[in-house]
Amino acid sequence: MADTVDLTERLRRSVLDGDAAAAARLANEGLAGGIVPRDMVDRGLIRAMDEAGRLFEAGEFFVPELLVSARAMKAAMSILEPLLAGEAHVSAGRIAIGTVAGDLHDIGKNLVATMLRGAGFDVNDLGVDVTPARFVQAARDGAAVIGVSALLTTTMTSMRATVAALEEAGVRGRVKVMVGGAPVTQEYADAIGADGYSDNAGGAVALARRLVAQSRPS
Amino acid sequence: MTSRERVLAAVRHRQPDRTPFDFSWGFAPAQLTRFQEETGAADPDDYFGADTRLLRPSPTRLRTDFSSYLGPLPPGAHVDEWGIGRRPSASTDAAHAHLDGFIYPLLGVSAARGAFDYPLPDLDADYRYEDFAARVAAVQSRGVAALAVMDCTIFEVAWYMRSMEQLLLDFADASPFATALLDRITAIREVQARRFAESGADVICMGDDVGTQRGMLMSVRMWRAWLKPRLARVIAAARQVRPDVLVFFHSDGNVTAIVEDLIEIGVNILNPVQPECMDPVALRARFGHHLCLWGTVGTQSTFPFGSPEDVRREVAMRIETVGQGGGLFLAPTHMIEPEVPFANIVAFVESVRSTTVRRGGVGDEIANPVGVVRENHRHQVGHRHRSS
Repeated sequence: MADTVDLTERLRRSVLDGDAAAAARLANEGLAGGIVPRDMVDRGLIRAMDEAGRLFEAGEFFVPELLVSARAMKAAMSILEPLLAGEAHVSAGRIAIGTVAGDLHDIGKNLVATMLRGAGFDVNDLGVDVTPARFVQAARDGAAVIGVSALLTTTMTSMRATVAALEEAGVRGRVKVMVGGAPVTQEYADAIGADGYSDNAGGAVALARRLVAQSRPS
Repeated sequence: MTSRERVLAAVRHRQPDRTPFDFSWGFAPAQLTRFQEETGAADPDDYFGADTRLLRPSPTRLRTDFSSYLGPLPPGAHVDEWGIGRRPSASTDAAHAHLDGFIYPLLGVSAARGAFDYPLPDLDADYRYEDFAARVAAVQSRGVAALAVMDCTIFEVAWYMRSMEQLLLDFADASPFATALLDRITAIREVQARRFAESGADVICMGDDVGTQRGMLMSVRMWRAWLKPRLARVIAAARQVRPDVLVFFHSDGNVTAIVEDLIEIGVNILNPVQPECMDPVALRARFGHHLCLWGTVGTQSTFPFGSPEDVRREVAMRIETVGQGGGLFLAPTHMIEPEVPFANIVAFVESVRSTTVRRGGVGDEIANPVGVVRENHRHQVGHRHRSS
């Protein structure tokens, strides 16, 4: 039997290095060696993406490094994921994410969705130009967190409308709302009654974990 | 001073009578409609007396069919001369009328061959510039500075064709496809830069968004490998024709990390210097009068959310802190979005126009405070100061 610690560490390293071929090879090697797929995901892939997020927050990783790490993570995940299906599903939480009504700028939103997936969240990517009604529906469908993004001050106002729509629909109590995007600030997030704000994709993952923990009945 | 004299003085770090201004990225359609209703005038530049006019090459006569790259287009979509498709927002809100999404013609193309075959526009064709010098002269004869604009010079136009995510992966993979695509774009831009320089335009405007609110989109190392040398080639092409032509570089976001490199390759003017994430005072302290700051009045903050008094205060503070002795050009940092109160636009113009600029406290003695500029450029800077 292969050494779990050694293999998951090499897997973690391959993802941080953005080496998709190595990540896929190591996932297969681990399976052949009898290593539990869940261990490879948790200790190899998720840990690597957490580290990538931290490096991004610290200014050592930039968008390209996140993208190649995510690509390597996906290469290994595509091998391991089918084998997780038999297990009781352990998700970090269900998140619906989109850009607000009117806003088609999705680069930041896509990056956050990628990092959330890398951290083990179930991500329902609603895409761009998402109306408040669709966010409400996502909350009804069981999302624990709603992630809302805007690039422009013009469309940022749709964030307030989204929070208001969740209130009006009577589902505000069951979801947490996190917001982000270039012009958005903590002050703005507070002013519209959002539960959290992050200025970067790595921070968004940490924030989502906190919000999910808060929303789970203790 | 005429507007043109004022712009040239300020950009060359000599004393202008007042700080020059324009609306670099224009008015959003809903804002333009409101302007026209409020004033009865058609054009904000004419009405407010902006100190510049922006000129672009004549329209293409090519009718390239990009359908094999774009596939079926959604209703209301249009395609530009680069083959970039734009689909309108589904929003019915008039304030969102200017927002559209990309359809990337090169997203599905993977072999390097695809970058060689792709039908790029004919921005290097002579006919695109036949009347350009005359248009420049017409602007200048009215005493206004003529800006020759090549938006989205290399990186942005490539990302609009390829998608940002895929292009950044290409960079990370050292992809021959990206090398070929960027080289072909650069070759066209070099011709365009020469034509602009020959036309007598006062400033050549280039730009590629490489910043985010927090810092660089990509590492400085990656920018130096992929974009800096190509931008340098475009600038050099213009300077071969006119060694003293002024070069303006635009990037949204915080690009402090590459300012020194930009100055090294010959950039004179940085735009838009978003005050929400870049510090004009720190830039002036670090780079002295090697860099003209163009923009600096925040469209993420003061313009949409401040009062007219806040706008006046920001203008006054900027002139006081970084505008003395020239080196400052005031403008909204991006398009004036629909939610900006009209009174704030009026306050911006009135306060710029009514504030005189004192003789600068910044002179040769601190013009090179950190020794950032290489020898070849220092000569040029020294010449500039002698003439002041």
